[in-house]
Amino acid sequence: MKRNHLFAILLAFAGLLVVLLYLFGGGADGNIVLQLRLPRLILTVFTGMALAGIGSVYQLMLANPLAEPYILGISSGSAFGSILLGVLGFSLLMPLGGFIGATATLFLVWHLAQRKGSFDRSRLLIAGVIAGMFFSAGISLIMYLFQKDTMIILGTLMGNLGHVFTRSEWQFFLILAGLSLLIMVWLYFRSTALDIMSGGDVYAGSVGIDVARTRKEIFLLTSLLIGITVSYAGIIGFVGLIIPHVVRFFIPSGQKRVYPWSLAAGGIFLLFCDLIAKNIAAIELPVGVITAAVGCPFFIWLMLKK
Amino acid sequence: MKRISTLLGGFLVLLLLGGCWKNASNEGDLRIVVLSPELAEIIASLDGVELMVGVTRECDYPPELAELAQVGNFGAVDMEKVLALKPDMVFTAGLEQEALAAELAKTGLRVHTFHPRKLDDLPNIIVEIGSLIQREKQAATVADSLRKGFAEMRSQTADLPKPKVYLEIYRDPLMSVSDESYVGEVIESAGGDNIFSVLERDYARISAEDVVKANPDIIICYSEVSLESILSRKGWQDIPAIQNKRIYFEKDIDPDLILRATPRALEGLRRLNRLFYP
Repeated sequence: MKRNHLFAILLAFAGLLVVLLYLFGGGADGNIVLQLRLPRLILTVFTGMALAGIGSVYQLMLANPLAEPYILGISSGSAFGSILLGVLGFSLLMPLGGFIGATATLFLVWHLAQRKGSFDRSRLLIAGVIAGMFFSAGISLIMYLFQKDTMIILGTLMGNLGHVFTRSEWQFFLILAGLSLLIMVWLYFRSTALDIMSGGDVYAGSVGIDVARTRKEIFLLTSLLIGITVSYAGIIGFVGLIIPHVVRFFIPSGQKRVYPWSLAAGGIFLLFCDLIAKNIAAIELPVGVITAAVGCPFFIWLMLKK
Repeated sequence: MKRISTLLGGFLVLLLLGGCWKNASNEGDLRIVVLSPELAEIIASLDGVELMVGVTRECDYPPELAELAQVGNFGAVDMEKVLALKPDMVFTAGLEQEALAAELAKTGLRVHTFHPRKLDDLPNIIVEIGSLIQREKQAATVADSLRKGFAEMRSQTADLPKPKVYLEIYRDPLMSVSDESYVGEVIESAGGDNIFSVLERDYARISAEDVVKANPDIIICYSEVSLESILSRKGWQDIPAIQNKRIYFEKDIDPDLILRATPRALEGLRRLNRLFYP
């Protein structure tokens, strides 16, 4: 059996099992399944898809296997913006704060990465790490000043998928999720260009790709996506880093195939992690802890095997 | 340079004068710094307001405390300000303030830590504090009336059907309290049945699913959400408290009456009881 077939079958099977357990595990009536578990499932799958998708795009575009929103400081910037609006009492505007934080960080990091008018990939990573530290310090400061909101801040820093939706918040979320899906589809149609760009800017330019513009568009739209996910689910690490690598292990070539599989695998992986987070202890654990605990050993195994 | 030294000298003289004046006015009396709002309330209830020279920002009852020097927040006390007030005693709470109490004790101050966690401990602690601050008589009176009040309340509600109560202290993530917590015991003693009897900690994260499954008759909501917002939560529509709109906020029952272990606990119990059995 070919590797990619095996992967598809495994993923479909695991996905089905996780969804069934997630929705019907432990016995629950129809109201709970439809009104509480299903919205949480949608939020989780959407978040996992977005994180893994962005990870796969960044890794290719920056030709760096470590690239993901967290490393580039965008997650922290986004969390800072979203938390700031949250503690000031505008909880409905948190996605907006997340987007502004993400875009501002990206703008800053982007300009620090320019050198002599051209784009320098290694400077981008350094700038990202610095921006990440800066905004983490900012979050610590908010945490110190607004002690009674420590829980919402911790939820944002460690991932929290247990958001309680009111009807209007849910409709608002669906609109944003729809917008995010459109962005994910748009990113899919940039796959070929990304493949070519990973061969170097000069080469990509010579076959007629406007590299600078494509990069700018991708960065802007992905920061919108990050802003939305961070404001609802907080910072969840490792999904964007690990999932694309796992997918490439089974499906080695072509962003056009790696990307959609990353979306699917990211959604299912995060759902699996949330299932564990909800059930492993009597108290619900932060999902970011689980993604790290599950993801790290798996990643090490994959690396050694290679 | 000269001007600066004159200024400094003047300032020093003023400081000295101020110090003498303060000492003169309080001669013979204890000087107490209180770092927890619960203890400040207890001491005030024992006619101890004039003994207090410094409090933290959270100490807001009785309102007279607002005139006292502030030495920081409950969780971030400025040690220098405490020392500058030259207190004879410092009163601290447990938990976050334990480390701070140890630090203050190192400087040679007399530090007393009290952290009432049970209703029945409260009268005993009040008596103890009373003897520390030489207010034994007042303490005995307050403690007796509390003991009597608690016993009355419990016998009144013993045989009544208990409404199920959900107390929401945080919204994102959802947090509630266990029966082990002080406020959990207050709810039970006022005739309610707290839906989360056992939790990992006194105050802990809970899931929306568990609230819906528990079907509370009453919701006490201290998580700063509006009535409309809680009424329109997805999946909460079948909960009796939502259907009957039996949801109470800060304006219906002052959180300090039931979250703080103070002599006002009795008033808190009575008000809760009225909400539970209208």
